[in-house]
Amino acid sequence: MTITNKRVLLAGISPLYQELQVLFGQHGYHVLSLEQLTQENDPVDYVVEVTNYDLAEKKRIIQQIDQSLRKQQRSVPILTTSLAITATEVASWTSMPQCVCGFGTLVPLSERQLIELAPALQTDEAIIEQARVLIHSLSKETTVVDDEVGLVFPRVLALIVNEAVFALMEGIATKEDIDVAMKKGTNYPYGPLEWADLVGLDEIYAIIRGLHQNLGEDRYRPAPLLRKMVLAGRLGKRSKHGFYPYSE
Amino acid sequence: MRVGVVGAGTMGTGIAFVCARRGHHVLLMDQNEGILERAKSDLQEMLERERQKDRITPQEQEQIEQSIEYVQELDVMAGQEIVIEAVSEEIDLKKRIFQQLAAICSESTLLLTNTSSLSITEIAAGCLHEERILGFHFFNPAPVMPLVEVVRGMKSSGTNIQRAVQFAKDLGKIPVVVENTPGFIVNRIARPYYNEALKILEERVTTFDQIDQIMTKAGGFKMGPFALQDLIGIDINLATTQTVYTNFFQEDRFRPSRIQQQMVEAGRLGRKSGEGFYDYHK
Repeated sequence: MTITNKRVLLAGISPLYQELQVLFGQHGYHVLSLEQLTQENDPVDYVVEVTNYDLAEKKRIIQQIDQSLRKQQRSVPILTTSLAITATEVASWTSMPQCVCGFGTLVPLSERQLIELAPALQTDEAIIEQARVLIHSLSKETTVVDDEVGLVFPRVLALIVNEAVFALMEGIATKEDIDVAMKKGTNYPYGPLEWADLVGLDEIYAIIRGLHQNLGEDRYRPAPLLRKMVLAGRLGKRSKHGFYPYSE
Repeated sequence: MRVGVVGAGTMGTGIAFVCARRGHHVLLMDQNEGILERAKSDLQEMLERERQKDRITPQEQEQIEQSIEYVQELDVMAGQEIVIEAVSEEIDLKKRIFQQLAAICSESTLLLTNTSSLSITEIAAGCLHEERILGFHFFNPAPVMPLVEVVRGMKSSGTNIQRAVQFAKDLGKIPVVVENTPGFIVNRIARPYYNEALKILEERVTTFDQIDQIMTKAGGFKMGPFALQDLIGIDINLATTQTVYTNFFQEDRFRPSRIQQQMVEAGRLGRKSGEGFYDYHK
């Protein structure tokens, strides 16, 4: 465990929030919420924002952060998830787009040895370096990729899940058989449907919707059942109900 | 049980091994004598390795070897209780074989095709007793991979699906039941692992080796999509994608990649050609 006096503002709505809060805490960071920041007015060293599903809310949060930071008189790296929207677009909402850097990962973070960074077109080199240092301090490797919605791992996984949901909707096999087939036929660590339950169906849906909106291709059309499950609040393990039921 | 295997290529040989290893009497058939000879020596080698690893006794090794017969005529399948076809993926060839099998085998004989991409309904169409014709899709290498996709054609009966499921379990495999749809479960749902990785590469979001690193280290996949394509064979992978794409009537989700096409054109097929996405000459 590293002891640091660094202060991280953690904001946004995502299953990533709770896990990052714990992870930063374990690595000695002082984690502040957006409410604390606006009350205390003490400077923070990093901002991490994680909203993916509700993009209007993401914009509101980012702009609130932007306003608070303007008082600080120095540039603070803002790491924002670019799972459902590009980092470039998020940066365009702020008065300091050069400080915004995208990143993308999915829960459970204990299974992520590496986290992807995706600088916006506007991001300063120095900010990318600071973002890298921050992630490394959490004992995770980083790799820098271009700014496209969903980055690499979340994008590929989301599309595998989407295909599995189409297959389920079409009734080609049971959900159990779909999951077993992918684990035993091609060595996936999880079946796609149980994996979606673990990651959060809202996160998966947000990625696919984001790709569909940004790239405009039919291949990113979300499976209607996936959208309905999110609307019904069946978000997976954390809501006790996803493709599978989970007892308390 | 008396099991017939039609086609003695890699898959047919592997399937014959799986059946014989579980105590079934196997007739392995191939018209080509050379292929049959190679299958025989491959099977003997596989059994020898089993004995060396003490998985079977020398007596069992001998017994199993004697339980496999090598034949060149399809007619001898007439007395078998289950026949598994594993010839190359050519629809006309498969249709011909099933027409013949359906005519010579008893109506209770389960007739299974190991096709990975063709339509069971099409293979079975017009055969006598279509209800006993099903897909029975092993994964490569058949002795190692635990999954079998039991595929229900339009006329396959529920009873015969259950028989095939039980047979897979008896072979020590894990069966899943799937409707006759393009790519079944695995080859369909695994498509984005390759296709989207290729699309990401095409868009130059990052390099192929970085994508592999991300998928293994961030995603926990055992192999990255490009290392895996090199292992499978880029031509094989492209052919599977093209079949699924065609059979879904050009659904955009399955569109093949220009990168793959160019690799095949260049003869860079993966490990087997010494070079694919990675260079294996070193």
